[in-house]
This record gives sequence, C-alpha cells and structure tokens, in this order.
Amino acid sequence: MTSTQNDGVRSRVAIETDATHPSRLIADKSREKRQRKALKKNRHKATKVAFFRYGYYEPAFRFFTERVLDAEFLPLPMATRQTIELGERLSTDYVCTPFKHILGDYIEALDQGANVLVQFAGPCRLGYYGELQESILRDAGYDFVMLNFSEHNDQGPLGWAKDCLKKVNPDINIPHAVMQLMATANMATKLDGARDYYLANAGFEVEHGSFARVWDCYMDDLNAATCDADINEAYNRCMEAMRDLPIDKPANPIRIGIVGELFTAFDERSNLNLDEKLLKMHVEIYRYLNLTHRFIHYNEPNLRVSAGEYLLYDMGPTSTMTVGAARRYAERGFDGIIHAKSAGCTPEIDCEPVLQRISSDFRIPTLYLTYDAQTSDTGLDTRLEAFYDMLAMKKESRS
Amino acid sequence: MNCTIGIDIGSISTKGVVIDENRDIVARSYLWTEGDPAKASKRVVAELRDQIDEDDMRIVSAGTTGSARRLVGSMLGASVIKNEITAHAVGTTHLHPDVRTIFEIGGQDSKIIIVSDGIAVDYAMNTLCAAGTGSFLSSQAHRLGVEVEDFGEIALTSKKPANIAARCTVFAESDLVHKIQVGYSREDIIAGLCHAVASNYLNNVGKGKKIEGPAVFQGGVSKNVGVVHAFEELLGMPVLVDPDGHLMGAYGVALLAADASPAPATGEGPFASGAFDFDAALDFEFVTREVECGKCANHCEIICVYRDNELIDSWGNRCERGAIATK
Repeated sequence: MTSTQNDGVRSRVAIETDATHPSRLIADKSREKRQRKALKKNRHKATKVAFFRYGYYEPAFRFFTERVLDAEFLPLPMATRQTIELGERLSTDYVCTPFKHILGDYIEALDQGANVLVQFAGPCRLGYYGELQESILRDAGYDFVMLNFSEHNDQGPLGWAKDCLKKVNPDINIPHAVMQLMATANMATKLDGARDYYLANAGFEVEHGSFARVWDCYMDDLNAATCDADINEAYNRCMEAMRDLPIDKPANPIRIGIVGELFTAFDERSNLNLDEKLLKMHVEIYRYLNLTHRFIHYNEPNLRVSAGEYLLYDMGPTSTMTVGAARRYAERGFDGIIHAKSAGCTPEIDCEPVLQRISSDFRIPTLYLTYDAQTSDTGLDTRLEAFYDMLAMKKESRS
Repeated sequence: MNCTIGIDIGSISTKGVVIDENRDIVARSYLWTEGDPAKASKRVVAELRDQIDEDDMRIVSAGTTGSARRLVGSMLGASVIKNEITAHAVGTTHLHPDVRTIFEIGGQDSKIIIVSDGIAVDYAMNTLCAAGTGSFLSSQAHRLGVEVEDFGEIALTSKKPANIAARCTVFAESDLVHKIQVGYSREDIIAGLCHAVASNYLNNVGKGKKIEGPAVFQGGVSKNVGVVHAFEELLGMPVLVDPDGHLMGAYGVALLAADASPAPATGEGPFASGAFDFDAALDFEFVTREVECGKCANHCEIICVYRDNELIDSWGNRCERGAIATK
C-alpha cells in the first residue's frame, strides 16, 4: 500500500507501508514515468517549423506543417532590406540572389525560435543547395534540424516520409498524413489557379486595390483552412468575388508572358514587384511558372515536346518550362515576353540564346531582366516602361 | 507660335531643345550635369531662352526624360515624363523614318533599339556593367592626358590600332596600362580603345540582335569619330550620325509633349498661366530632401521636392505607409 503526500516540490516521494516491513520512503515512479511519457508525447508540439518566404505559398507551407507534420508553423513577417543583408553577410558574393534571400529568411526564422528549417529547392548548386545553406548556418553557430527534401530524391516519397518521421515527428500517422499531403497539393493548385485569374485581370480593375483586397481575404481563408473542403470553399469564394469585381478590359489588351528562373520570375521581393508594376500599366500577365506546374504536374519529357525543335534535352531546373512557355506565348500571339533571372543563373543563361531564336522566329519582343541583390528599382521601371511603350506603339500601328 | 521644350537629364550631360509647330529644333543646349540635375536643367533652360524670341514663341508644354526626369519634370511642370528609350526611339524615327537600328551610347548606359516600319520592335540595354560607355572613355582619356573631345581625331590617325581587351573595364584598364608601358604609340592605343568600345557594345548590348541598315548612332559617344569608324569597320556598313544625335532624347520627349495635351493652367509652377514662364522656372528655388521612412525595417528613402519651401512631389516609398501627401 502506497500513500503519496502532496507537498509541493518535495512530494515526489511516497511512503510505502507494509505489514511485514517497516514503512519507508520511495520515489513515486509511476508519476515520474507518466510525466516523462507525457513529455515525450508532447515533444513535437513544441517543434517550430519554418519555411523560407516564397511568393504567396505561406498558407500551403502552414497547412503542410500543421496537418502533415503535425508541428507548429512559424510564420515570417514581410521581408525587409535587413533580410537580404543578413543573407548576404553569410553568403559568398558570387552565389545567386535567391540563395541570399533564403539564407536571410532562415536566419530570421532561427532568431525567432525555429527548430526545423525546410528546403525543397533541389537541383541547383549541383544538388547541394540546401546542404550548403545548412552548413553555412551551422558554421555560424545555429542549432537546428534541416528537413531537406532534395537529400532523399533518390528514394522518393519513402525517403521523404522517413526523414519527416525521424527529424520532426515520430508520431505522424502515415495514412492521415498522405491524405493531408494531397490536400496541401490541392491548396497549391488552387492558389496558382486563382493567381492566374488575378494576373490576367487585376490590371484592369476599376476600383484601385479591389483585386488585392479579395486576394488578401483568400490568403486569410487559406491560412485558417483545416481540411480539403475548406480549401475548395475558400477557392470558390475567392473566384466568385474576383469575377464579380468590375473590370474595364479592352477587347485586345497587351499580353505579356513571364518566363524565367523558379525564384526570380516568381517571387515578388526577388523581382522587385514585377507583377504589380506590370499590372499598374494595364497589362494582362501570364506566368506558366509556379509550384503546380513545376512540382505537382511536372512532366519534363512531355513539356519538352511542346518546346519543339528548340529543345532537345533537359538543361536543368526550370529551363524546359522557360523555353516551352516562351514558345507557347509566342504561338498564341502574345505581345511580349519577359525573361527574369538572377545574375549568374547558369540554366537560365543557357536559355537566352534559345529565347532569342524564338523572339526572331515569331517576331515577339523579349525583355531580359537580370536581378542582383539591389533594392533600387529605378532601372527596372525605366526598362519596363520602355518595353510597355514599345509594345503599345507596335500594337497601335498594327491595328 | 506654340513651342515645346524637351529636356534630357542624363548622368553625365543635360540636353535641351525647343521645337516649333513644324517639329523643327529652334534652340538647343548641351552641357555637363556635374552631379546637380536641378541646377543643370536651369542652366539649360536659361541657354534655350537666349536662343528663342520670347515675344513670338510661346512655350505651351514641356517634357523630360533621362535618369533625373522625375525630379526635373516636377520642377518644370512637365506634361510628359518619359523614359529615355522611348524618347530616343520617337525622336530618331521622326527624323529618319527608314531607320532600322539605333545605337545609343551615353555616359552610364548604352542601348540598342531595333526598328521596323518606323516602330520600335525590340530593344536591349546594358545591365550590370558600364564597360564601353562614355564614362569609361572619359576616365581613360584622363589617364592618357588627352581631352575626350579630341579622342576621335587622334584615333583616326592611327594606322595599326592596339588590341585592347574590352570585356570588362577593369581588364581593359590593366591591358591599357600594359600597352602604354611596353611602348605602343598613343594614337594606336586610343584607336584600340575606340575599337574596344564598339566591339564591347556589339557583343553585350547587341548580342543576338539582327543589326540591319540604315543604322543611326547617337548619344554622347557618337560625337567620337573614332568609335563611329570602328562601328563601320565591324559592321561593314555605313553608320549615320546625326548632327543633333546627342539631343535625340530631348527631341523625342519634346515631340511626345507636343502631341500630348498642353499643360493646364493650374495657377502654380512655371506653367501657371498656361505658357511657360522662364522667369518663374529660373527664380523658383528647388530643394530636394531625402527622408528615411522609419515605419518598417525597409527604411525606404523618400525623395521630397520642395519649390520655395512648398512640397510639390515625393517618391521612393515602397508602400502606402510611407506616402507623403503633397500639401
């Protein structure tokens, strides 16, 4: 028979009373065990997972963390000039700009208490993109777990699942997680789908800022979504709201297709708000490049067929998408193509001669933009404005 | 007669023209910016004033282009503020309707514009590097102890131009120093430099572009006959240099401003009465102040322009929070 004396801190002992033995003090093992077990069980609730900032995908990153990994998501505030400064300080000068942006994000996340960093940009830097960032951060003295999906590319989903179990949360219920992963993919697709509509129409909004307002609501809805049905509902609501917005769109607006590297052509802080700058000029924008097309529905050999004689083999990360999309834009009679890359991005530099050929074959003007870690957008404004003027004058002379 | 003023404020030089109703240039001015675009454009306006008959000519609108277009545009109350690429294309195609290729090399930048049927259809501009621009030639002229204005004439006297690596300013400079030290003659080095500028331009800015004649070469460097000669040699076709080639940006923006509706009589600024008031433009005191917005970690630099201590324009903020209201 054991009786426990509840006496605050000192009460972790019990008195064992037995008829045959004199009473003695013992440790309350069961209680300690219970606590230890509870601690172990809740261990991963305290795991803070952070991604890097990438376009509008924060809700999808959050959903993946909370639903698939069953851990806490650490949202990052808007990037500032300080972010890139942090990243630049630890990077070599010649590394590409996205690397510096992401490194800056990671440092900010770690400073805010992140335990796990996620990286999925795989094939760049000879396949050691995330590894390089990990070792730089470790050298800087940070302690964290790196969940790098390109580490187990050879093993595919099995390797990734093992990695998640080992590094983040051993209690992941695999069937449940798979379902949630599909919901995450659905969310990414729905984000990209709504964005396509936004890019094509927001430039012609009658009330300034009306599309952005709907978009912000959509972001809030998706951030609060907990299941597949929520995602679909939010998407339908957003699309309905956008379609209801009054627009003043000419029958034959100026259409520009954006191609380029995964980060710079997509992420607005890397390309200094290219989307918004073009939308302000009343341009209809198309951008084939997004996570849906690069990861979820990516089929490189098929895509290469659409590039036709311009591409005979895969030249690396997003080059097939760049060439394929550029050709498609040209065939569909777009007015211009904008190619955005960071300085020194080898695969995209390789694409440039191909784009020049498309440009002269189809007589479609192409603007090549190279970004570095600059924060001034004066030069960009000049180039975009001139590009727009040129397209507009050309269009006017034809009609 | 209703006239229009066009001003092109570049990094190195400031250009200005006045055009009449027939689109002819009636006054021209070209001088160094000297790091003060506001002062330089005032001097340009003063020079233009001396060349026109104010009783007969009434300036109804103004246009600005070049890297300080916004600042000077708000100073002068310009009705058109356009980028220099469009301005150059418009100006050149007006004077040379059959032009197919426009080369432009300025102080800090260089561009190529491909024209088809009088409409610009493609352009490129130098991106990360200033090699092969006017400021490179100026600094090398300084090193060689000659005036940059004499460069072209000296280059033409060379019989055997030195071969100078022009990929990058730093390499070109060390190559140049080497050639000087081993005893190349000065005219050969200068001719080599002119050649280097042209080949650098064609390899960087003109990369992948189909260059067809007639070609027009303009910008400050077009005044250098050595570079013109090098272009002709490399392309194997004549390259036209307009006597007003250096003013083409100002001319183009003046054309655009003439087509735009005239400045409305707002009751303030140089166009207070509807016509340009030279005294007002020259007497107003313009001050620019840089304000650092402290509302987030971006620390945007907001440029505020004051006319006689009254805020007339501001820009540079990346979000609405940093917006500074005019009045």
